[in-house]
Amino acid sequence: MSSILIIVFLPLLAAIIAGFGNRALGNTVAKSITTGALFVSCVLSWPIFLGFLGGTATAEVVQVLTWVRSGTLTFDWALRVDTLTAVMLVVITTVSALVHLYSWGYMDEDPDQPRFFAYLSLFTFAMLMLVTADNLVQMFFGWEGVGLASYLLIGFWFRKPSANAAAIKAFVVNRVGDLGFMLGIFGTYLVFNTVSIPAILEAAPAMSGATIGFLGYRMATMDVLCILLFIGAMGKSAQLGLHTWLPDAMEGPTPVSALIHAATMVTAGVFMVCRLSPMFETAPVALAVVTFIGAATCLFAATVGTTQWDIKRVIAYSTCSQLGYMFFAAGVGAYGVAMFHLFTHAFFKALLFLGAGSVIHAMHHEQDMRYYGALRKEIPLTFWAMLAGTLAITGVGIYWLHAGFAGFHSKDAILEAAWGRGTELGRFAFWMGTIAALLTSFYSWRLMFLTFWGKPRWIESEHIQHAVHAGHDEPEDHNPARQEDSGHDVTHAVPPPEYRGGTGGYHPHESPVSMLVPLGVLTLGAIFAGFVFTDAFVDSETFWAGSIYYNEGLIHELHEVPLLVKLAASIVMLLGLTAAWFAYIKDTSIPEKAADQLGPIYHFFYNKWYFDELYRYVFLKPAFWFGRVFWKAIDMGTIDRFGPNGAAWLVSKGSVAAKRFQTGYLYSYALVMLLGLVAAITWVVF
Amino acid sequence: MVDLSQYLPILLFLFIALGLSVAFVFLPMGVSRLTGAHQPTAEKLSEYECGFPAFEDSRGQFDVRFYLVAILFIVFDLEAAFLFPWAVSLDLTGWAGWTTMMIFLAELAVGLAYAWKVGALEWE
Amino acid sequence: MDYATSLYLTGAEIGLSISGLVLLLVSAWGGARVTRLVTILAAAALFGAAIFTGHLFTELSVPAAGDAFGGLYRADDFSSFAKILIYLAVIACLMITPKYLAANGIYRSEYPILLLFGAVGMSMMVSAVDLITLYIGLELSSLSSYVLASFARDDVRSSEAGLKYFILGALASGILLYGMSLIYGFAGTTDYAAIRLAFIGGIETGALFGIVFVLAGLAFKIAAVPFHMWTPDVYEGAPTPVTAFFASAPKVAAVAILMRIALEPFADHVDSWRQIVVFAALASIVVGALGAIGQDSLKRLLAYSSINNVGFILIGLATATQLGTSAMMTYLVIYVVMTLGSFTALLMLRAEDGRPFETFSDIAGLATRKPAIAWCLLLLMFSLAGIPPLFGFWAKFVVFRAAVEADLIALAAIGIAASVIGAFYYLKFVKVMFFDEAEGSVVKTSPIGQWIVLILAGIIVSPLGYFLNGLLDAWSSDAAASLFYLV
Repeated sequence: MSSILIIVFLPLLAAIIAGFGNRALGNTVAKSITTGALFVSCVLSWPIFLGFLGGTATAEVVQVLTWVRSGTLTFDWALRVDTLTAVMLVVITTVSALVHLYSWGYMDEDPDQPRFFAYLSLFTFAMLMLVTADNLVQMFFGWEGVGLASYLLIGFWFRKPSANAAAIKAFVVNRVGDLGFMLGIFGTYLVFNTVSIPAILEAAPAMSGATIGFLGYRMATMDVLCILLFIGAMGKSAQLGLHTWLPDAMEGPTPVSALIHAATMVTAGVFMVCRLSPMFETAPVALAVVTFIGAATCLFAATVGTTQWDIKRVIAYSTCSQLGYMFFAAGVGAYGVAMFHLFTHAFFKALLFLGAGSVIHAMHHEQDMRYYGALRKEIPLTFWAMLAGTLAITGVGIYWLHAGFAGFHSKDAILEAAWGRGTELGRFAFWMGTIAALLTSFYSWRLMFLTFWGKPRWIESEHIQHAVHAGHDEPEDHNPARQEDSGHDVTHAVPPPEYRGGTGGYHPHESPVSMLVPLGVLTLGAIFAGFVFTDAFVDSETFWAGSIYYNEGLIHELHEVPLLVKLAASIVMLLGLTAAWFAYIKDTSIPEKAADQLGPIYHFFYNKWYFDELYRYVFLKPAFWFGRVFWKAIDMGTIDRFGPNGAAWLVSKGSVAAKRFQTGYLYSYALVMLLGLVAAITWVVF
Repeated sequence: MVDLSQYLPILLFLFIALGLSVAFVFLPMGVSRLTGAHQPTAEKLSEYECGFPAFEDSRGQFDVRFYLVAILFIVFDLEAAFLFPWAVSLDLTGWAGWTTMMIFLAELAVGLAYAWKVGALEWE
Repeated sequence: MDYATSLYLTGAEIGLSISGLVLLLVSAWGGARVTRLVTILAAAALFGAAIFTGHLFTELSVPAAGDAFGGLYRADDFSSFAKILIYLAVIACLMITPKYLAANGIYRSEYPILLLFGAVGMSMMVSAVDLITLYIGLELSSLSSYVLASFARDDVRSSEAGLKYFILGALASGILLYGMSLIYGFAGTTDYAAIRLAFIGGIETGALFGIVFVLAGLAFKIAAVPFHMWTPDVYEGAPTPVTAFFASAPKVAAVAILMRIALEPFADHVDSWRQIVVFAALASIVVGALGAIGQDSLKRLLAYSSINNVGFILIGLATATQLGTSAMMTYLVIYVVMTLGSFTALLMLRAEDGRPFETFSDIAGLATRKPAIAWCLLLLMFSLAGIPPLFGFWAKFVVFRAAVEADLIALAAIGIAASVIGAFYYLKFVKVMFFDEAEGSVVKTSPIGQWIVLILAGIIVSPLGYFLNGLLDAWSSDAAASLFYLV
């Protein structure tokens, strides 16, 4: 199956050509090369996936190059293809190809298009390396590669200070997680003496119960390793505590948000936990941690999502929340279900982001939902796509028919698995997940209602005003890179007292075909991905074929949960929809009143539980203080003074002395020679 | 350790030579001082007309051509110094010795020819 | 005694000697007209000698040695290696010279002839396995060098350089001779192998004195600290092509005899002399680096640079192992290339009014005025500083590797640390050439011979030089093996 080589390395090749060719190639050539490469990869990926689905394909490892042979540490560049990889392959290549295509329209006016497309392809390559990794080091390579690409893309509009800050924040927060991941890899090598994933998974059960000493404590080896690895996953997948970078990452172009910060990169943590699932199964404490963090994130992000005004931030918190679902699914042992939600989520979340991008595109880069409204008629195709995405994320479906949108199948399975697990933590996760589902439904419909229903509120927007007063209402006339203020900061104001009506004479336009086609394809995915694949992902041990830990008993329990549990998600979905309808259609003064009455809680949610402020005081201030101490007192005052500067001072003095020694007089030269001779003789003889 | 006793005659010879040379220098000086008239003048105390003052500032200048003559003198003087032992031991060294010396002489001759041709032997 | 064999083994020296004598007569009778011809013929003779020596190098079964003239002279891989390097270096010196001397009105046919005789002396040195042969070779090359140093005899600095070199050289020769006579006195022989046998059971204090004196005399020739004082003055005063010669071929010869004398007759008493060599190595590295930093004169700076490099070479000697010896040979080759290249670049630079470039302010902004030369100098300077992937790094690497393998880890560590100091002034070259404002007049074009040497040097020190690695390693190990053949 050498097609995997093409799938993985074609995007790299495209990225190199487009990246280094850059302006010399021109926009169209660079875009064609990268997009073409991704579509080829995508077309080659589906047969692999379908092969596993049909049970005809078998797992295999394709050796590429020898990487390291050093003592007992040996690993290669190798591409592993099994069911788990195949699932990720189709997700990555499909979404990436569609996002490439979408970017033709979205980035049309940008002066730096080859760079953008090169980054996108580079990201895809790194992500593919991550999911095909056969050893932890190669996985780490991909892990860092996607981190790099994410950094570059968040900061793509590098003239915007906020984008740079967001990029740095994403990178730094990820370093925290990566430190855990690295320690996990080191520890794994220490314990198992290998970094090969199959070898580790094979040896893991035998290590269950072993303990490791650290700072005088005895701890269960596998728990320590798995928690360290999970910290890595938390950073990449924006779980509670290390989530702060994800909302800020929305500073990047919207296609980037769809690809990296919704469908693929942020799910790397989930993928890693599933890939190492036999290892996690030997670590009960670690699994408990995963479940708890997942469930907590799920609820936390959903609460924040209900209060945000920036359309992309709402979806970003929604992503964070959905990732929490995946993690607690994995934490209770339903890895297949976690992967299933990852799979469906990729489609509907990419759809929502791209749809949001289309709205933003139509609204002249206005991202604040307070200035939207009544767009249903103006951009109908985008509306229908967003509607499908919303139906999918809120989990609309009919239990008795076993039919529904993508999220219905996967989210319900997660909640059922959490209940079916039977443990207290499982029940906790179930309740958290159910409440989060209620909130999900609320904020998703809130987004829809604010954007597409009601009256136009466009006139308030500076972006729109700018477009109208500039005498051209074609949004395409402006490229985001020149819009210094396009990342409209939602925190600058509390909600305005009233939504004043008015279009301001602005006419939104539907997006070009290159943007609508990806929306269409993803709409199909959002509608059918759950229904079609639910049997394979959830119920079929043969489909997974040992690539993840498959808990037969749990799946059995999953189907045996009470009917009310099965209906819980649908019930809360309806509740959320109703609440949103009342608040944003029926009586638009409700949100304001609610915000007033629930003042403290509202502000708590609105300010994202004050995580950023907390970190500022707990970590940043001390870090700056330490930094200053180390810089002024230790680095400059001690190391520089006695190190480089001291050495330089000594050298310059020495050079002056050496020069003075060289008098130019013969007799002093002869004297030095003779003194040297005498010294040498004295030394040798005595 | 090398037996140094066979060098004793040389040492004795050195002492005798030293004694004799001292005697030859100071004896005439003493005799003439005791016997002759002693009326020094500036002219009488000066060096030979064509030589250098024996003691003067070592940085004094003199004609570089003296060096050239001295160097050439050393070369040919050494030639003579080699020729003597070569001549008396020719029966031991045989044709090899003869050939070697001829090569040496030929090289010297080339040197002489060069010096002659470039005018090193001419005072002006 | 088989004269045919002896004459065959010494063919290169004999050929060069006869060529020298003939050319001397030609120059005497031909006058100024034949200067160019004599130069070309001298180069041809050297080239022939190099070919012949190369033939010996491949023909003599490794690492067997061929003794000539009853054990006074030995042609082995070691001497052949050194000789080829010497001959090629001298040829390069001949190629880069004429333009410079002609510009100064001192291009005379004695110049190539002196180089030729110097080459004969040096090749006798490296083949000497007897103290007397060694001394004669040394004096022959030294006397040529004294004259060459003052070749611009109407130039005060050149005359001063020659005189200083001569007087200090005479002092060093005296020290060397005194050491030899002490060794002869205690060993009763001047033959290397016999000396070794004589001292096999132990060594008297007097003979130790002798060893120290001999090493000191040779240390003068390689300009190791504290016998280096003459180097900056002589290098600065002598005409630049002569300086290039001093820094290349005689260094090779002197290092080679130092190796042979340390590792053949005194091989059983390594502990006696190792401390001196270690000290000289470190002192040379440090003094070479420190002295160079304050310099404005480029020739003086390169003089200190050569002292610095000698320090690194001596690290190889301090190991007293075959690996160390092999490393020294490799280092010598690369060092000669770098040095000749640097001096050639200097030679090619002169102001509109004919004044040669000799200070940093002269080469300011060279990159804009003479980009090709500037880039070559950049390569050479980075290489001298030992920055990978340039070839100079490899030279230092093999030496340090040998030191580490010989458990001289402290020496290697200090050496590496001190090489950082040296990097400063090499980088200063680059900084001045590429980042300073250009001033002064335009530079004239240079003749083809100088370009050839410069570009060859540039190519060899560039990463392309690593293609030579296989050959260089093989040859160096052969050469080193022949030194240890009789051990």
